[in-house]
Amino acid sequence: MFASTLTVGLRTLMRNRSFALINILGLAIGMAACILLLLFVRYELSYDDWLPGHERAFQVQTFYNDPETGRHDAMQMSAYAVGRSLAKDFPEIDKVAYALLAKPVILQDGNATTGEVMMADPTLLDILPLPFVRGDPRSAMRDLQSLLMTQSEAAKRFPGIDPIGKTLSMVRNGKTYDYHVTGILRDLPRNSHLKLTMLVPFNGGVFGDQPEFFKRYGWNSGYNYVRLVPGKSFADIAPRLAAWEKRNIPKQNFGGAFVSEGDTADWKLTPISDVHLGKATGAGMTPSNDPGSIATFTLVALLILAMACINFTNLSTARAGQRAREVALRKVMGASRRQLIVQFLGESLVVAALAMLVALALVELVLPLLADFLKADLVLHYFGAGGILLPVLGLTVLVGLAAGLYPALVLSRFDPAPVLKANRGGTDTQGSGRLRGALVVAQFAVSIALVICTAVVTAQTWYARSADAGYNRDGLLQVTGIGRKQIEPVADQLVDAVARIPGVLGVGRTTIGVNTDSHINTLVRVDGNPRPIEMGNYNIDPGFFDAMGMKLLAGRTLDRANPRDDVRVAPNDEAAQAALATRGANVVVNVEALRKLGLGSPAQAIGKSFRVAMVDEKFGLVPVTIVGVVPDVRLRSFRDPYEPIMYQYDRSYMSEMMVRLNAGAAGPVRDAVEAVWKRYAPQVPFEAAFTDDIVRNQYDADAARATTFAAFAGLAIFVACLGLYGLAAFTAERRTREIGIRKVLGARDSDIVRLLVWQFSRPVLIANIIAWPVAWWLMRGWLDGFAQRIALGPQWFIGAGVLAALIAAATIIGHALKVARSSPALALRYE
Amino acid sequence: MLDLIGLNKRYRTDTVETTALDAIDLAIGAGEFVAIMGPSGCGKSTLLNIIGLLDRPTAGRYVFEGRDVAQLPEAALTDIRKRRIGFIFQNFNLIDELSVRENVELALLYHGIPASERRARVDKVLDKVGIAHRAGHRPSQLSGGQQQRVAVARAVVAEPPLILADEPTGNLDTAHGEEVMRMLRTLNDDGATIVMVTHSPAHADYAGRVVNMLDGRVLVEARRAA
Repeated sequence: MFASTLTVGLRTLMRNRSFALINILGLAIGMAACILLLLFVRYELSYDDWLPGHERAFQVQTFYNDPETGRHDAMQMSAYAVGRSLAKDFPEIDKVAYALLAKPVILQDGNATTGEVMMADPTLLDILPLPFVRGDPRSAMRDLQSLLMTQSEAAKRFPGIDPIGKTLSMVRNGKTYDYHVTGILRDLPRNSHLKLTMLVPFNGGVFGDQPEFFKRYGWNSGYNYVRLVPGKSFADIAPRLAAWEKRNIPKQNFGGAFVSEGDTADWKLTPISDVHLGKATGAGMTPSNDPGSIATFTLVALLILAMACINFTNLSTARAGQRAREVALRKVMGASRRQLIVQFLGESLVVAALAMLVALALVELVLPLLADFLKADLVLHYFGAGGILLPVLGLTVLVGLAAGLYPALVLSRFDPAPVLKANRGGTDTQGSGRLRGALVVAQFAVSIALVICTAVVTAQTWYARSADAGYNRDGLLQVTGIGRKQIEPVADQLVDAVARIPGVLGVGRTTIGVNTDSHINTLVRVDGNPRPIEMGNYNIDPGFFDAMGMKLLAGRTLDRANPRDDVRVAPNDEAAQAALATRGANVVVNVEALRKLGLGSPAQAIGKSFRVAMVDEKFGLVPVTIVGVVPDVRLRSFRDPYEPIMYQYDRSYMSEMMVRLNAGAAGPVRDAVEAVWKRYAPQVPFEAAFTDDIVRNQYDADAARATTFAAFAGLAIFVACLGLYGLAAFTAERRTREIGIRKVLGARDSDIVRLLVWQFSRPVLIANIIAWPVAWWLMRGWLDGFAQRIALGPQWFIGAGVLAALIAAATIIGHALKVARSSPALALRYE
Repeated sequence: MLDLIGLNKRYRTDTVETTALDAIDLAIGAGEFVAIMGPSGCGKSTLLNIIGLLDRPTAGRYVFEGRDVAQLPEAALTDIRKRRIGFIFQNFNLIDELSVRENVELALLYHGIPASERRARVDKVLDKVGIAHRAGHRPSQLSGGQQQRVAVARAVVAEPPLILADEPTGNLDTAHGEEVMRMLRTLNDDGATIVMVTHSPAHADYAGRVVNMLDGRVLVEARRAA
């Protein structure tokens, strides 16, 4: 029976090669797309579950909610104090570790480089047992000079020699610390939220001059990890967190109002394997992904597969009439309906199996390219843990059954007597024709929606990269590291020397910069408003706005010569702090800050004042006066809304130097800036990037995702057109007689082509009615994630609809022409 | 009306060449009613197809209304067919997806006639063949005789001077067959030229002239008094 089914199945395929090709190729593409996308989805879901004991490991994350704006924000960082205090109060917490990423200058054999170093409590290795290649995990971080590095970092820094015991020096806050290598880690796989090439013990002494670091609950510069005792979960702790906040977070006197850092923040423990796709996306070590896009990829995978199955179903039922005689004869010979259903399902399983072989070959070919493109470790193996053999077999059977069941029911239904009497194929059954129409509409609705989404995502990414950010990116160089302690004594001379280089049009220093991780917020009070207001608080020097190309909307910029403009006070100089609190200071604010403070238009705001926490609590708030207003500029992602910012002139710390170059000679001038830097600060590597490049790279992940999406949308359309092509071929064949009649009655070739093209374009046009609202709804939601975005205009929808109609028409025009040109006498003779 | 002079039609497959029509000489005048008879495979339908410009002769001349049409391009043939010739088939050749009215209207659709006029003419001709009460039905809902009446209506709605009928009664019972023949007779009386292929001597009696064929040749012609 099975052998007979297989034989018949293969012979049927051989007899109708073009239909077989369309079916197998369509299913193969659908299956390959599905496997590729699902491998990517599985990879995204696999983050950090390779770490032994990951079930007990959690990251402490900070969730902010602003009661004024209703805005929710969540970040993966939490303050040092939070982890310590949680571990103290909750016996469910077995271990706690604090970790922060730093980018110190590293000195090795007289060479200065920079490198990313994680500084963490040694308990981190208990919570996250990182894979050791050399060294003993129990003792590798025992003393403060220990240094662990990954294999590839070791190979880079100590090529060809044994790295164990070798020494590196790191400069932190102006002081040099020596480390010796005590262990080598295997390179972390890419499916980890951790970014780690070097690991040293956390040394609290680095923060010796910042005692607040250890006490404050809002000082977010690192990550807390905890391990829970076996059998406990976050749910055991969560109900007691509110009481914990009340007990532990001190109230501060803020100009008469008592506020706590817990007022707008909550803390949650997130399993480390959920960090990558978790709600807290801010301040992660590696870019996170959102479950929405994973769900979208899964959906697209299943839709493409469903479209391929639809092709199979459609072509099989469309051709049912041709097999009516065979069915009738088999029934006459005594075949039961059940046996016929088994036969036809067997045929569809044969097709599905052949398609799967082709699909796997496609996957093998494409996977390395996709992995490289998405920067993901996508691997394909058939056996063992994570092997796809069983899922693939399951998918084959599922596709074979899903695509073949309806045709099997239709084909096995023919009544033998009329079919044999008429001595010709049974006519098409009414219901299946309507179903085919509906399925084609569904296919094109999916394709059109995908095209719209692709176009919108691409346009938004392009917009984010190229739109006016409010400052001038042309020839704007951002130099990092100007704030390092080693440079401090020569920083002003360095800036002046850079400004004197021919071709340099402006220089300014800042703590914000373009797309940096720097987030510095402060609370301010406005008279008449009982609630403190939070806003960004960044240092700039007087050259900053000029260098950035930011035009003042009102007032003036800050001035070195005006003592009230300069807010610098040494941290331990109490007299200077008291003096600043008494004399007050001048600041520049942006438009968003004016809005949040409620101070009217830029012109009205000049001369108005508010109070800011700039000095120790005991000296009270410092009154500041607005002397200038600048526009809101897009220094971070287009996803984020404009933040209210107060710019102050504080020479004591700046992290970035912005240099405006003559855009015509940007390359040579940049080299001249580097030469000056090396003369003044040879001990600090020159790290600079043009802001154009920074912004372009900022949206790399979005662009890659958009391209991937476009590729799969293209595949979806191809699969849909493959089906349409098959249907057109079949319909042309079936309607030969009708077209013959029309030609006998005087229809020209062009009349026939128009008739057929219109017939097949109609479902595509109807598909728009379904696709447009769905795509609009999806894209509105997606664009809502951007504070600044393109308009969701009708052009995307109409464009996608026209494109789909053109592609559909091009697909079938060949068949239409062939039929239109055939001789009517021939067409009618075969009746 | 039409002149066939030394007309040949051969079909060629890989191995065999079949002569369907062999040196046919036939002239049919305007207003004639000609019946073509002969056994199956003698070339009747091939001849009718060539007369109807659905097929081309392999050799010989075909003069239609004074114009040699044997080598005209397809578009010109389409145009002549549309304006000058109506067809009636044995198996009716109605389109199942269209209603009776739409099937008949099809013959006017490619003439560029405004929709309102088309409708009026279709209604008139449906009335004439006595099928107006079934105008909204699908062909599959009609009896064979009713279907052939629709086919006749379609053949004459554009008022072509030449009507070609390929065994118009072959699928009908005696009563319905007679009915269709009476209709053709009336059309001929009204001035239409009719060429009909038939197996039935009784139905051939309706024609003014009978052409007997055998193996692709015209065997004998007989004229009758109408």
